[in-house]
Amino acid sequence: MDTTVNGTTAHLGPDPETTAAEFVRDGLGLTGTKTACNAGVCGSCTLLVDGTPAASCLLPATALEGRTVTTVEGLAARGPHPVQRAFAAHDAMQCGYCTPGFVVEAAAFVDRHRAAHGDTEPAREEIADAMAGHLCRCGAYPGIYAAIAAACAGKHDRDGDAAPPRAEAAEKAAGRARYTTDIRPEGCWEAVIVRSTRAHAVVAAVDAGGAPHVDLLGADRTVRYVGQPVLAVAAPTPAKARAAAAQVAVDYRDLPAALDPATAHRPDAPVVYPARAERRAAPAHAEGGVPPARWRGNVRGPFSLNWRGATAVDRIRKAARTGDPLLVTGVFSTSVQAHTPLEPHACVARWDDSGHLHIHASTQTVMALAAAAADRWGLPREHVHVTAEHVGGGFGAKAGLRVENVAAVELARITGAPVRLVFDRAAELTDAGHRPGARIEVGLLAGADGGLAALTMDAYSDGGASIGGTVAIMGRLVYGHAPRRLRDFDVVTHRPPGAPFRGPNGAQLLWALEQSVDEAAHRLGEDPIALRRRWDGNPKRRALYDWAAALPVWRERSTGAASGRFRRGVGVAAANWIYLLDSSTAVDLVVEDGAVVAETAVQDIGTGARSVVAEVVRGELGLPAGRVRVRAGSSDLAYAPSSNGSRTTASVGPAARDAAEKLREEARRRRAGGSGGLDAAALAALEGVRVRGGRRRDRRGYATPFPLPDGGALGRGFTGAVHVMEVEVDTLLGRVRPTRCWAGIAAGRMYADRPARNQCEGGVVQGIGYALYEQRRDDPHTGAVLTSDLEEYRIPGIGDTPEITVHFHEEGWDHVPGGGVGIGEVSTIGVAAAVGNAVYDATGWRPHDLPIRPDRLLEGIGAK
Amino acid sequence: MTTPPVDVPAAAAALRGGAAEARAGGTDVMARLREGLAAPPFTDLHRVIGLRGVQWLPDGSARIGAMTTVAEVAADERLRAAYPALAATAAAVATPQIRAVATVGGNLLQRNRCPYFRSAAFDCLQKGGDTCPSRTGDHLHGTVVDQGAACVAPHPSSLAMALLAYDAGVEVEGAAALPVDGLYDGSDSTRDHVLEPGRLVTGVALPAPTGGESAAYRRATSRSRGEWPLVEAVARVVRSGGAVTAAAVAAGAVARTPLRLTAVEEALIGATGPEDAAAAVAGVPDLCSPLPQTGYKAALLRDTVRDALERALA
Ligand SMILES: Cc1cc2nc3c(=O)[nH]c(=O)nc-3n(C[C@H](O)[C@H](O)[C@H](O)COP(=O)(O)OP(=O)(O)OC[C@H]3O[C@@H](n4cnc5c(N)ncnc54)[C@H](O)[C@@H]3O)c2cc1C
Ligand code: FES
Ligand code: FES
Repeated sequence: MDTTVNGTTAHLGPDPETTAAEFVRDGLGLTGTKTACNAGVCGSCTLLVDGTPAASCLLPATALEGRTVTTVEGLAARGPHPVQRAFAAHDAMQCGYCTPGFVVEAAAFVDRHRAAHGDTEPAREEIADAMAGHLCRCGAYPGIYAAIAAACAGKHDRDGDAAPPRAEAAEKAAGRARYTTDIRPEGCWEAVIVRSTRAHAVVAAVDAGGAPHVDLLGADRTVRYVGQPVLAVAAPTPAKARAAAAQVAVDYRDLPAALDPATAHRPDAPVVYPARAERRAAPAHAEGGVPPARWRGNVRGPFSLNWRGATAVDRIRKAARTGDPLLVTGVFSTSVQAHTPLEPHACVARWDDSGHLHIHASTQTVMALAAAAADRWGLPREHVHVTAEHVGGGFGAKAGLRVENVAAVELARITGAPVRLVFDRAAELTDAGHRPGARIEVGLLAGADGGLAALTMDAYSDGGASIGGTVAIMGRLVYGHAPRRLRDFDVVTHRPPGAPFRGPNGAQLLWALEQSVDEAAHRLGEDPIALRRRWDGNPKRRALYDWAAALPVWRERSTGAASGRFRRGVGVAAANWIYLLDSSTAVDLVVEDGAVVAETAVQDIGTGARSVVAEVVRGELGLPAGRVRVRAGSSDLAYAPSSNGSRTTASVGPAARDAAEKLREEARRRRAGGSGGLDAAALAALEGVRVRGGRRRDRRGYATPFPLPDGGALGRGFTGAVHVMEVEVDTLLGRVRPTRCWAGIAAGRMYADRPARNQCEGGVVQGIGYALYEQRRDDPHTGAVLTSDLEEYRIPGIGDTPEITVHFHEEGWDHVPGGGVGIGEVSTIGVAAAVGNAVYDATGWRPHDLPIRPDRLLEGIGAK
Repeated sequence: MTTPPVDVPAAAAALRGGAAEARAGGTDVMARLREGLAAPPFTDLHRVIGLRGVQWLPDGSARIGAMTTVAEVAADERLRAAYPALAATAAAVATPQIRAVATVGGNLLQRNRCPYFRSAAFDCLQKGGDTCPSRTGDHLHGTVVDQGAACVAPHPSSLAMALLAYDAGVEVEGAAALPVDGLYDGSDSTRDHVLEPGRLVTGVALPAPTGGESAAYRRATSRSRGEWPLVEAVARVVRSGGAVTAAAVAAGAVARTPLRLTAVEEALIGATGPEDAAAAVAGVPDLCSPLPQTGYKAALLRDTVRDALERALA
């Protein structure tokens, strides 16, 4: 049985279970094709079969017999397809994991469109229809729309003059970028994790049936959620590894489980962590340490941060007693949100003959992972080599030494072979962390003078078996110094633990707070932007309020509930975030073959870290794009921080600039190059020179005198965002359609403008997912996660993406070298509240529970 | 491995006895294979050319081969003109990359999407168990119309619903043709269709379209595309002299089988425009007996049907 792949005949095996995706990826090594969902939903596996896009993850390989198959690699057989150029030019990607699938589908669409309509731009709706089977978790949809429209209009038939805004864009669009899931060394074994089928049990015995295995349970031999790793087995092929995993017998001694956060506080509820030592070892979903607090059964807390707390409580009680109309109270809830990066958690580990450990990992922390691995296996740090060349998204879930790393490394040690471990989507949606849910009780009192008189918030975080809710206390940092009492509680259950997720705790806080502030504005009869401008002392955000208030969509909005089936509404929400950095960051520059190569450990998870370095070096040295290369994503290179906490750019950018300055000095010393940039002659004179740049201190130092536990520092100043969202509500069928969004971001100077905008656009898309669709659901009786594929767990698609305008307010960061800081978190956390306020504006009904599903919306507006 | 059959008799022979499961586009079979809900041997039908394509008979009626893809149904100009709501339904199914390989036969005979059924972690009535874990657990997307089954998984097939509205028949090799609703039994909790194991569906037959007809398809979803419907509906009306003389209304995702809403059809007789839709659907919620989490579907069913009717009557 034969098929033709990219013009070459290939032999098909007879196995009826092999999919077309497995055939091209594993059989032919064409790893441009990805498999993210394995369920026909995400489109990352799209191939052209006789010219028609088809999902290859559900297609039997045998169905390819006699057909002509084109993969993303084959599209560029005679130079890049116009769509590939367009994707690079419009930065239609972040992490790039979805990109090959989009590119293959878009190539077919563009060719079809041009054949039928000539070189014209299709309507947005047509593009959305054609791309309906593709998901991008990074939310790079605005760039994708632009790229496809431009390719249809014939604007990318030849290479452009300008280099693409993203350093690795061409590789990603061509399917050449290699991710950890694409790495399969010669003789590589496959590992599979066997997971608990019980919510709470003691494991009395495990029988791995002779397969090489590693135990993954803690000393107490207790499992505390369905899906918890029990052990991992390895075998020479994926099929054999799955078979070995199926053979493993686990003897569970079942214990009663607490599965419902609403009843877990009751005295008769089974306790998740009865002993002090267990409570101490409880996993945390917060970044950088968990503040101490008291436990009562499954409830931990309060952890409070007050400012004249008693006054706040007195004022709110009195207002409640007297029925003060300026008292806003409400109970808001948020759902459990899964990170679900399209590249799953993955690790390939290998020990070499000299005892060095080589780890390929889909990680956002190459350095921290290398350090933790050295520690765990007792190796000198320089004997551990962690590589993450391309990372298909993380959003907080891929930090540190994780179970997939431990299992792969141990199994590699036992088997003497390289071992590869890749999460399936069910594991990804169950046990890869999540943004915990929260129940937030708000009391917010506006004074007769129109000021904020008092604020109380009690937040109960639902992080499954993990702790670390700091939802309410983050309310200390916003809206001036009015009296406030802020208390956080964790309610633990026998459900999967959370992990930091892009703006940890901030998204939950703002869903409740920003809607409450909105309500206060309505009670006061005041414009919600004007009210925020008065209450919010932050000068950078004030500039954003002025920008937002002047937007035509805001000035021309009609207030008062609309009528008719489709109702339009506009809402606003503000966001505040801390500024982190890592002052140990370094960037090396070495002149090699007439080009400047920047070397830094930093992993690029789609945020554009490579592009930041490339842009800075190019700009500082006046070099053309082709003369700068970036080598990144390896723990063997100069120290760089983790890609979390929005700290990467603020750390790497200045270090790159410092390095460039040093290279320029070196050029001056050697009298190479003039006052302008470094020309070819100067580079020739500098050949072989190596310099190291560091992260200079901020003027006025940092808010934290000592490094944080993860090596970072808390810088001075807060970043800000103001989102204005327009929605259209279908009051008959219950759907909320975001139509347009304006995202104002105050985080100083942008190092790489287009990738930065892209990240802010993605922040809007993820916020819309949080607002409208995303919700992990579990079985109430067993605690098993039911939303364990991308069909049940709903992330936003291209058709759900509004037209987005990003505005940067770039002033106010002069104390930071480079003048700019990170945007990853502040750009997403307020979005859901902006949607909520827009729905209120459209319908007169205020959503309190996330997500705003059609059933909830219909019930809400029906009850009004 | 045996070579796959290339004609109908060979395919029917290969399936006879029921030892091998037919595999058409494979989009459902392969997904179930991953969950341990399907296993080889399979009889691949992709080479049976005779099962593919649309035939038009002299009386104006159409026959769609079982291996015709959903995308072909959506794109076929003549089908779009004669059976517009069928083509519109096909165009809304799944995603372009699934429609390109999913077939008409596979769509009618696919298994339900209940997460308890699909997950290896649960036993259920459809897998030989003795209770429905969804009924006592999560059933946000479950049924709202009670047909006597303990299972609460709604029928997944959008095409079956549209074909039901068009009074289509299903052709089975070596057996009598049956009406679409003969393929399903709403009171049976153990399976999603009642085709005898080992049988080959060869195609569906659509009666010739009536003159003066207009039709529409609607689905309610949370996201704009690529998502299973919460509720979906097809409405067909035949008008003469401005007033409705015949109507066919079917709904999906609400019951164990696709449903014809005969009470709505009767109430529509004499209707003249979109403004008459609301009255015709007013009684729909009374057909429902919601589960604890599917109460919303009673009104949503009424309003999705209303939306389809308003378009058909426009
Ligand atoms: C993301 C996504 C969204 C979806 N949304 C929808 C939707 O909105 N509406 C909808 O209706 N469907 C939807 N689907 C399901 C999809 O339409 C079905 O999987 C598809 O139609 C099945 O067709 P197939 O040819 O691939 O079937 P297969 O997987 O090949 O077969 C399905 C079943 O039918 C049997 N079978 C197939 N052909 C024959 C035959 N000729 N004779 C006897 N038995 C046969 C097989 O034995 C098997 O049991 C969705 C799927 C995905 C992945
Ligand atoms: S991997 Fe095939 S559609 Fe997602
Ligand atoms: S760029 Fe699309 S998933 Fe990351």
